[in-house]
Amino acid sequence: MLKHLIIDAAYNLQTSKSYQARKQFFRNLLENNNYRYKKYVDAFMIMLIFTSVAVLIREVKHPIHDYMFYFNSYVISIIFFIEYLLRFWIHSDVSKIIVERVEHDSFLSRDVKLYKAFKKILHVKLSYVFSMTAIIDLLAIMPFFHELRLLRLFILFRVFKLFRYANSFQTLASVLATKKFEFFTLAIFASIVIFVSSVLIYVMEANNSSSPINTLFEAVYWSIVTISTVGYGDMVPVTYEGRIVSLVVITSGIAVLAFTTSLVVSAFTEKLDEIREIKTVEDIIKLKQFYLVCGYEDVAQDVVKKLARRGNDIIILDEDASRVEQAKKDGFKALNYDPGQVESYKKLHINIDKQIKAILCLRENDVENVYAALTIRSLSKEIYILSLLMESSNRNKLKFAGINTIVYPQELVGLITKELIGQPVAFEIIHELRSEKSNVHIAEIAITSRILESFSTVGELGNQDFRVLLLGVHKKETQRFYFNPLDDTFIENGDYLLVIGYRVFVKEFEKHLHTKVKYDEK
Amino acid sequence: MKNSALIFGFNKYAIEIIKNVKSEYNDVKIYSLDEEDSNNTEYEIEHFDLSDNWKNIEGSIDIENSIVFCVLEDTAENIFLTISLRALYENLSIIAIASHKENANKLLMAGANKVIPLVETTADIIANMLESPISHGVLHDILYEKSDLKIAQIKIDKGSHFKDEELSNIDWSHYHGIIVLSVMHKDMSSEFIYSSKAKRHIIEEGDILVVVGYEKDIKDFEKSIGSQRYVNWSNWSW
Repeated sequence: MLKHLIIDAAYNLQTSKSYQARKQFFRNLLENNNYRYKKYVDAFMIMLIFTSVAVLIREVKHPIHDYMFYFNSYVISIIFFIEYLLRFWIHSDVSKIIVERVEHDSFLSRDVKLYKAFKKILHVKLSYVFSMTAIIDLLAIMPFFHELRLLRLFILFRVFKLFRYANSFQTLASVLATKKFEFFTLAIFASIVIFVSSVLIYVMEANNSSSPINTLFEAVYWSIVTISTVGYGDMVPVTYEGRIVSLVVITSGIAVLAFTTSLVVSAFTEKLDEIREIKTVEDIIKLKQFYLVCGYEDVAQDVVKKLARRGNDIIILDEDASRVEQAKKDGFKALNYDPGQVESYKKLHINIDKQIKAILCLRENDVENVYAALTIRSLSKEIYILSLLMESSNRNKLKFAGINTIVYPQELVGLITKELIGQPVAFEIIHELRSEKSNVHIAEIAITSRILESFSTVGELGNQDFRVLLLGVHKKETQRFYFNPLDDTFIENGDYLLVIGYRVFVKEFEKHLHTKVKYDEK
Repeated sequence: MKNSALIFGFNKYAIEIIKNVKSEYNDVKIYSLDEEDSNNTEYEIEHFDLSDNWKNIEGSIDIENSIVFCVLEDTAENIFLTISLRALYENLSIIAIASHKENANKLLMAGANKVIPLVETTADIIANMLESPISHGVLHDILYEKSDLKIAQIKIDKGSHFKDEELSNIDWSHYHGIIVLSVMHKDMSSEFIYSSKAKRHIIEEGDILVVVGYEKDIKDFEKSIGSQRYVNWSNWSW
């Protein structure tokens, strides 16, 4: 009976959308660094920690208000306790473990052995409870029992909680962890030197009445102060033998210090690229809309520069480290990821459909472009992909890979030469209008509801007054371009005006469209 | 219009050019630096080298009345070819392709009339496609003839009734379906129709109006103002 109740409850929790959504919410809030609101929770917790330490410091020499005392002992502790419970809850999925066990046993047509599931749950939960961070969390709650004076010092454990909330601490720890073996060797070496020198100095000095080193503790203290090259000078050996021991300790001290410094430096140098990469990925997650460019060869370099000049954010992925380096030098965000690997996009932690405007496969190699496009398509069916085509015989393969627009430079050359000889004037004019450098250019103005408040037909726009030519209107409804529309043509939300004029005048005209207020409204 | 097109270099670009220009010329000749290309069965290819021996070529066609495409893949060779042709034939129309703008400038200095910088052109098109898809589509259609919309230049003849009128005084709305973009003066400098210079400009014989419109409307416009469409080959705005 009880067994059935437990299994039913587990299935209910597993299938309950609201329960899962809530759990996911807290998981994001406490553990997902990419979650927008986590930083506020972190900041709040950090503030509580500092408040707590400030109260502790104040308390040493000054009386504190009761409310401050209660806030420190109870409110903060309770908040930390709630946090501890939440972390305990989200760390693992109890219902999932039970469901898995039930399904496993019933699949094999066996009796459901719930005790095995409970054993696993116990194991998982205990592994959390005994983890370093959980222990610190628990100790930070201890000041709740403030009657025990010793437990009040546990407030200092709250400072260790900072490790949880500041990413840079975690980075520092992970960097130093890469040199675990070297640090271990160093620690052994230093311990042996300290141990031997402490014993020696104790033997040499302890019986000398004029020596300040009288106990083994003082001998260890002297050794550590000396080996670390700090050398307070409050205790100095007075015997001849003691001074010889000093010389050995001082010399080894230099070695220990040099070794430690070089270890830390080399750990950081080796990890520097990785740290930068993490920073870049964090920056990318924050971007709202950007172009993702795969490859940074000639055409890509030019496209990226042109898009950047128009105020777009761009992310470049290239598997070649030297090209990534070049992109960084050019001032762009670039990652040495292979655009053909699903893993590369997963590492970015982005929502492809929402955050990316378009993906441009601009490797000058059809094989690579098809490979990248197929990878992207496996992640998103909707995203717009544009690709370069280098060999016309591969066109179908690119289409098959789901590329929306194919740009074939050779074909462009053919078309351009045809225009150059057939319609030289049209060619020159269009080239001029498209050029970023020319004063007269062609612009698109989107019709918004704000514009529609003041204007309803083409004739009312008054473009001639701004010395702007209206080439035509692109109607949203029919998805067609209407050249030189009549004055009484209606404009609607989502339509585009195609205008030609000097840049300044086009800007003025656009401003006029957005700001003009109808006279009859006045 | 020139009679024949000479293409120097046989590669992917040459093939695309041949495809697009063969209907426009009586004769399209292909020359390659690689002797083995002469065995190509699909195209008739002649061998040439970069020495100054152009007699073979000169003998078979009227070079001065031809248009030349320099599409050698090696930039240095392409520049050398261009400069050799320009040194020999002053009035020859030379179109060259270049990988980058930097090489394009060198080719212009070497005497090419028009250079297509590949990387920049491709990048321009990609950036316009993404950032201004509507204007890109319309301009693309005008250029590559998918729509009936055309850009044409119309020369003001002696008998045209626009002659001696101030540009800003003309009511262009009379000519439905036509938009006048700019006016090209005799010296080939072109002015946007709304520029302050063009505003006060008095139309003279020999001025060229650059107009956008549908083919039929452009024809009607030509008839009504009594002028003719005009393509001047020697005066691109290089």
